[in-house]
Amino acid sequence: MSQESIVDVRDLEVKFYTYAGIVEALDGVNLSIKKGEILGLVGETGCGKSVTSLSIMRLVPPPGKIVGGRILYKYGSVQGNVLEMSDHSLRKLRGKDVSMIFQEPRAYLNPVYSVEDQIGEVMLVHKKEEILQNAVSAIEKKLIENRRIALEKQRVRLEKQKTRNKKDKMKLEERRARLEKEISKLASKPPSNFEVRIYKRLIRSPRSRIVAFQARFSRKRQFKKELRKEVVRVLRSVEIPDPERVARMYPHELSGGMAQRIVISMALSCNPTLLIADEPTTNLDVTVQAQILNLIVTLKKGLGSSILYITHDLGVVAQSCERVAVMYAGNIIETADVFETFSNPLHPYTRALLRSIPRPGEPFRSIPGFVPSLVNPLPGCRFHDRCEYAMEICRKTKPPFFEVKPSHYVACHLYGGLK
Amino acid sequence: MRPRIAEWRFMLKRIRQSSLAVAGLLILLAFVAIAVLAPVLAPPYSSDPFIVPADRLLAAVTPSPTPPTTAHIFGTIGSDQGQFDLYYICIWGTITAFRVGVLVVAASLLIGLIIGTAAAFYGGILDEVLMRFTDVIIAFPTLVLAMVLAIAFPGSIPINFSMVMLAVSLIVMFALLAIRPDRRLMLVDLLIIVFSLYSVFSFPLNVQLGLSQLDKVLFAITIVGWPGYARVIRGEIMRVKNEDYVEASKASGSSDFRTIIKHILPNSIYPILIVATLDIGSIVLTTAALAFIGVGAPVNYADWGQAISRAQSWISSADLIIKNMHVFVIPGLFIVFFVVGWNLLGDALRDVLDPMMRRR
Amino acid sequence: MTNLLQLSNLKKHYPILGGILKRRVASVRAVDGVSLTIQRGECFGLVGESGCGKTTLGKTVLRLFKPDSGSIFFDAPEDVVEEIIRLKQKDPQSRRLRALRGQYDIATYHGADLQPLRRKMQIVYQDPTTSLDPRMLVKDVIAEPLVAQGIAGGEEAKKLVMEILERVGMSDRALYRFPHEFSGGQRQRIAIARALVSRPKFVILDEPTSSVDVSVRAQLLNLFTDLQREFGLTYMFISHDLSIVECISHRVAIMYLGKLVEYAVTDEIFHNPLHPYSQALIASVPVPDPTRRKRRVPLTGEVPSPVNPPVGCRFHPRCPIAMDICKKKEPELLDVGKEHYVACHAINSSIEA
Repeated sequence: MSQESIVDVRDLEVKFYTYAGIVEALDGVNLSIKKGEILGLVGETGCGKSVTSLSIMRLVPPPGKIVGGRILYKYGSVQGNVLEMSDHSLRKLRGKDVSMIFQEPRAYLNPVYSVEDQIGEVMLVHKKEEILQNAVSAIEKKLIENRRIALEKQRVRLEKQKTRNKKDKMKLEERRARLEKEISKLASKPPSNFEVRIYKRLIRSPRSRIVAFQARFSRKRQFKKELRKEVVRVLRSVEIPDPERVARMYPHELSGGMAQRIVISMALSCNPTLLIADEPTTNLDVTVQAQILNLIVTLKKGLGSSILYITHDLGVVAQSCERVAVMYAGNIIETADVFETFSNPLHPYTRALLRSIPRPGEPFRSIPGFVPSLVNPLPGCRFHDRCEYAMEICRKTKPPFFEVKPSHYVACHLYGGLK
Repeated sequence: MRPRIAEWRFMLKRIRQSSLAVAGLLILLAFVAIAVLAPVLAPPYSSDPFIVPADRLLAAVTPSPTPPTTAHIFGTIGSDQGQFDLYYICIWGTITAFRVGVLVVAASLLIGLIIGTAAAFYGGILDEVLMRFTDVIIAFPTLVLAMVLAIAFPGSIPINFSMVMLAVSLIVMFALLAIRPDRRLMLVDLLIIVFSLYSVFSFPLNVQLGLSQLDKVLFAITIVGWPGYARVIRGEIMRVKNEDYVEASKASGSSDFRTIIKHILPNSIYPILIVATLDIGSIVLTTAALAFIGVGAPVNYADWGQAISRAQSWISSADLIIKNMHVFVIPGLFIVFFVVGWNLLGDALRDVLDPMMRRR
Repeated sequence: MTNLLQLSNLKKHYPILGGILKRRVASVRAVDGVSLTIQRGECFGLVGESGCGKTTLGKTVLRLFKPDSGSIFFDAPEDVVEEIIRLKQKDPQSRRLRALRGQYDIATYHGADLQPLRRKMQIVYQDPTTSLDPRMLVKDVIAEPLVAQGIAGGEEAKKLVMEILERVGMSDRALYRFPHEFSGGQRQRIAIARALVSRPKFVILDEPTSSVDVSVRAQLLNLFTDLQREFGLTYMFISHDLSIVECISHRVAIMYLGKLVEYAVTDEIFHNPLHPYSQALIASVPVPDPTRRKRRVPLTGEVPSPVNPPVGCRFHPRCPIAMDICKKKEPELLDVGKEHYVACHAINSSIEA
């Protein structure tokens, strides 16, 4: 795991213009995701974690608007400030470099298409050429085999033939020679049929409209077979039992765990650099959650992607994340390595959050007060009205987000930082 | 108190923001004003203001419709009773339109509500029976069925009160058996059945109900209209029935009746109101259509549809159409604006209530 | 009389209707033979994953559903309960059994008999957004049990409502507001107020903290324990969150596919789980301590559908120690010592041996 970061979010500001007023959802968020790491984004309802993740893909729904800051994307084919990218680059970014999975997987699967059709659709976008090539190879193999058998039969027949005179013998020799030549050429110049020709044309000129038109009206049987095989392979890679049967199922027949695995497989099919997981296991049973967490970590190791794991469950964070960013009311207030965060939390909110985890035998400790309203928020630190260490300055000035210890960032006046 | 007022104010604000909604509201307010001021704008000539005065003098001069003049502002329509003043028809027709629309919609709404609620809430065989019955009525083409009913209804119905009582008590018994046998209620119902049987055979109570032509049409449209409401409310209630707060109400000890009235209906009634608002305009159109066919108010009744119906005889050729244009255009415009007004209001209501419902 | 609630072989099935005539083609065996006792004043935790039937069990106990078979004894004398259970086994057709059950077994009640129960047993739902009528003012929401059961009305009801609101930590200003104007935690308090306004003895808490934030959960849990002490309540705490159940319950039962697999005192269950499913469940809970990381996956596969539970022990397809007998015979819930009940052939046979 290298230290280079792939996404750098700086001073991100997002506002929602609603009937009730202007909600300042994100108030200068600073976040950086490093290559190959699992970064946990922790926070309670309404703190802005989902909005942050949507902003990275520039998918903030209206009435929300990104009003300030930069999101620098530093890796992969498309680089630059996401907020200033052209539509074309943005489309390349989404789905190929950055993909996302959500809390309720069945809501993100189209209920009228089978699993096979939906994964197949994703395959078509990213792996079309590969599948076409597979189809071509499969058909050619079959055609070669068939032709070879036919030629072998001919050869046997020729050998059995009796010759009457020299002229016949010469003709026989000629025929035999031609036959041998043809058999030897089989491998290098395989026979073709209509389907193979279409596929080859598609591979050669994927954008040609004429070829697409031709392809539209041909059977494409082998292609569909290969596609189905690829879907089954993908399902197997996410540990779905009996993948052939599951492939034919519809989303409403799937359990939560299976649906989430399928969504994960779709998200990872194009080897994205960054996978954003927005509370993917919150709705799942605890045993299924353990399975899915394990799956995500294993897949990540195989692909080398980074994962931004959004959750409110500190147990999940402790078990699977490498670094933790804690969010409160639209700000990232602490970012550190996971061991640091749990053993030595610096920000009062982080401390209070860790203290509020229920432990048997101990009294339940909660954080007094309420999450502030983000419409016309008070100046200064947004946590000051609930903070036990609040000082005068906390009411007036917003604390800057800076590095207190190596790789441990905090936004709190207790640790200085104001220049 | 305060949050409910705040809710209404929010709703009004949203209505004010949509110009179409404001337009609809203004149109309807104008019609309401006409209806209220009718005695002033067009003083009635006889005890029943809905009988249009016939100008015989003018009829003697020319039997065909006359264009607008100072004496008759919108012109007249000729008929065998004399020239009818179109202005009078249009003014008093407004009240007729409101009466027709509101009465019919209220009646079909009530019937549809009761049947739909019973079917949705209790489900099972009651639901099946009621819904099949509803389906049968929907299966008929609305206009045709309304026409048949309007024609076939007798002018005066002798109602055998004891038969009615018998029928109602038998239906109640069936409903009780299907839903939940409650011994006390069943006992009371049994007594009523016995009493009505006795009265049928010994002293039948008869009442004569006189129905005017227009009343028959209204009855017909009501009968044809309630299935639509029944279906919509059934769908809404089936959705609301499974919500947690309905079950919580049951856990708090609410009776079925209380649950329906206090929880289910208030949460499911909004789509119905929207349909009802849109329906008022559509009912007036249906009435006009029926009048055009000849099934409607009597000839000298102040009704827009009736006016257009009479216009048929005066537009038999191309130049006559142009000459007697006022005869169908003016009442037609009244109908159009009336319907448009209600439609705009219904749409506005839908736009306003939708975010309010979603805000929950 | 220490037992407040006793369940005896309770079953609740949902029919699946199919075909043109909508016949019962299969049943969802949501609760399939559950027996347990809850003592007065205790907090009884009921744990399980989705599809295990815990919510159905809670609502059936409350008689929101009619059980298909089995008995529910609420606040009944223990000797009567014993006699009924004995009679059910020995002489199921006896008239005395029917008479006793008609009087004491609330599973047989219907209609108006259920009304007095509503005052004594209440429920707090998981999601306060859907469990409070969005069109009712808070004061009406909370007063509903009083009005519906005829306990109080008008001014007196309002007084009781204000009292209970104060007890759950909310101000009077909430009275004339709508539920959606409050945060999740406050709405749950309103739901709690509604459940307690009629001073019930027994409250079913159906995942009451699942829909609220982590920091608010502690507040609600404190509220539950305070109220239990103050009003002498008995709780059935249904949850899938084992860490909370460990902190608040006195005894815990674990359910799988409609049956109990293990139940005991909280300490016993969490420090000495015997049933393989309990062990897997407890091991799957992510511990909020990064120094204690587990890479193994405790349990593979998915929970089978409750329509067709596996024959024999329902857990045997996923069980690491399944034996032959597990595929044929259902294990009984037996006391393996210190009132620790387990339903597992392997455990039971090793204890016997």
